[in-house]
Amino acid sequence: MHPDLSFDQAPPIDVPFRFFLTAPLFGIAAGLLLAIVGGEMFASRWMPPALAGTHLLVLGFMLQAMCGALLQFLPVAAGANIWRPRWVAGVVHPLLAVSAVLLVTAFLSQRSGLFLAAAIGLALGLGLFAVVTGIALWRTPARGATVMALRLALLGLVATLSLGILLATGLARGSDWPLLALTDLHAAWGLGGWALILLAGVSYYVVPMFQLTPAYPARLARSLPLLLLAVLAGWSLTFDPGAAGRQQVAFIGGVAVSSAYAVSTLRLQQRRRRKVSDATFLFFRVAMLALLGVFVSALAITLLPALQNEPRGAVWIGLLAIVGVFVSAINGMLYKIVPFLNWLHLQNLCGMRAMPPTMHQMIPERRMRGQFYLHLAALGMLLAAVWWPLLARPAGLLFAASCAWLGYNLLGAVGVYRAFKTRIRADASDRRS
Amino acid sequence: MTAAVSPARIIDGREMQPPEPLEKTLEALDGLPRGEELLLLLYCHPLPLFNILRNHGFVWQEDILDDGTHEIRIRHG
Repeated sequence: MHPDLSFDQAPPIDVPFRFFLTAPLFGIAAGLLLAIVGGEMFASRWMPPALAGTHLLVLGFMLQAMCGALLQFLPVAAGANIWRPRWVAGVVHPLLAVSAVLLVTAFLSQRSGLFLAAAIGLALGLGLFAVVTGIALWRTPARGATVMALRLALLGLVATLSLGILLATGLARGSDWPLLALTDLHAAWGLGGWALILLAGVSYYVVPMFQLTPAYPARLARSLPLLLLAVLAGWSLTFDPGAAGRQQVAFIGGVAVSSAYAVSTLRLQQRRRRKVSDATFLFFRVAMLALLGVFVSALAITLLPALQNEPRGAVWIGLLAIVGVFVSAINGMLYKIVPFLNWLHLQNLCGMRAMPPTMHQMIPERRMRGQFYLHLAALGMLLAAVWWPLLARPAGLLFAASCAWLGYNLLGAVGVYRAFKTRIRADASDRRS
Repeated sequence: MTAAVSPARIIDGREMQPPEPLEKTLEALDGLPRGEELLLLLYCHPLPLFNILRNHGFVWQEDILDDGTHEIRIRHG
């Protein structure tokens, strides 16, 4: 049984949608960057184009989608009302988008002023987002594993942002701080402390609801975010740039905890009450298999001497985590959230006078499935390109095409929403006259 | 409890993906004669549906069974 859903507190539909429609644009940019730079981008994760591409995906694609989803999800599913959501979205959304572009340009051009400008923009945008969502989550009377996970994820976001600002300042000033070790910590907080805890918290709610599975086991749902946060806090509090062994233990520990979430989700999918394998189900399955792939790869890189000094190993894990886990899961979730919100908003507008288009009419299943297969091909080619650089350019083009198709499908749903809304208004006007 | 309702007016939404149960319920309510009931079975407390019912003069009674099923009986107010 999934928890209750309240629609009374839902923000205006443009609040989440402006974020959702922006996310694919950054995915397209990341793919095109790879297509332009080629195999050199995967030689090491410290290459400026690799850092630029990474931030196009994590700041541009992932963060846009996650912030938009949270502004919608908090009031509706967690009873946490956002203060002036349209105003907040109107400030946070452009600040995030512009700051992401500035940061990416800073990595590519190595101009210190751009690093500082991006840091200021992100501090303002994400700072406002964290304060507003933090107050909402603090005040909500709701309890349960999802609310707890969302609170912890927000802590993860603040830690990621703080480390990111520190790193941007360090890069701008050319400081002698241990930037490489700090970057590892920043990435661990961003992907583990923020993105994965958020994904898990939202999954506890939407996987049983949309995939008709049993609920997540209560003990796992509660302990997973706490364990992940404990690993990250332990790593941070004993931070020592010279202690590579300790970092590796923390990394393996965090990834092992994460894989418990993947195994649990895959088992729930096996036990779903209705054997529907729609696009969202497939995207989620790929995301969870990729998360298990991260665990196996992390173990292999730690245990096999031949891989320990191979810089491409970290690129492989990064692609598996960012594109395999997060882009897949977000893509799948958008295919449920966007049509569902459309339907609810239209139903709310027209009451029982007319029936809004069904979910499948918002985005036809064959289009979502087609984009899923393209995403899968892009992911496979991206991973192959880590070891066969000749594949990098076609992999970039495939990924850009997949993100463009995602954007096209989402825009199609918005078009259906607009057309039906116009019809409702015209009908209402006819009745009045 | 389901015996009092004609099988034609029972919607088992427990194995449907949202918002299919709502779609089917609203469709069925459109032709619901006065004095008759529609029975909806779900695994959740459908607040969006209740808002719509309230706004359109329907009344409902909700019972939660041991297996987590919500039995929602809807009729004209």
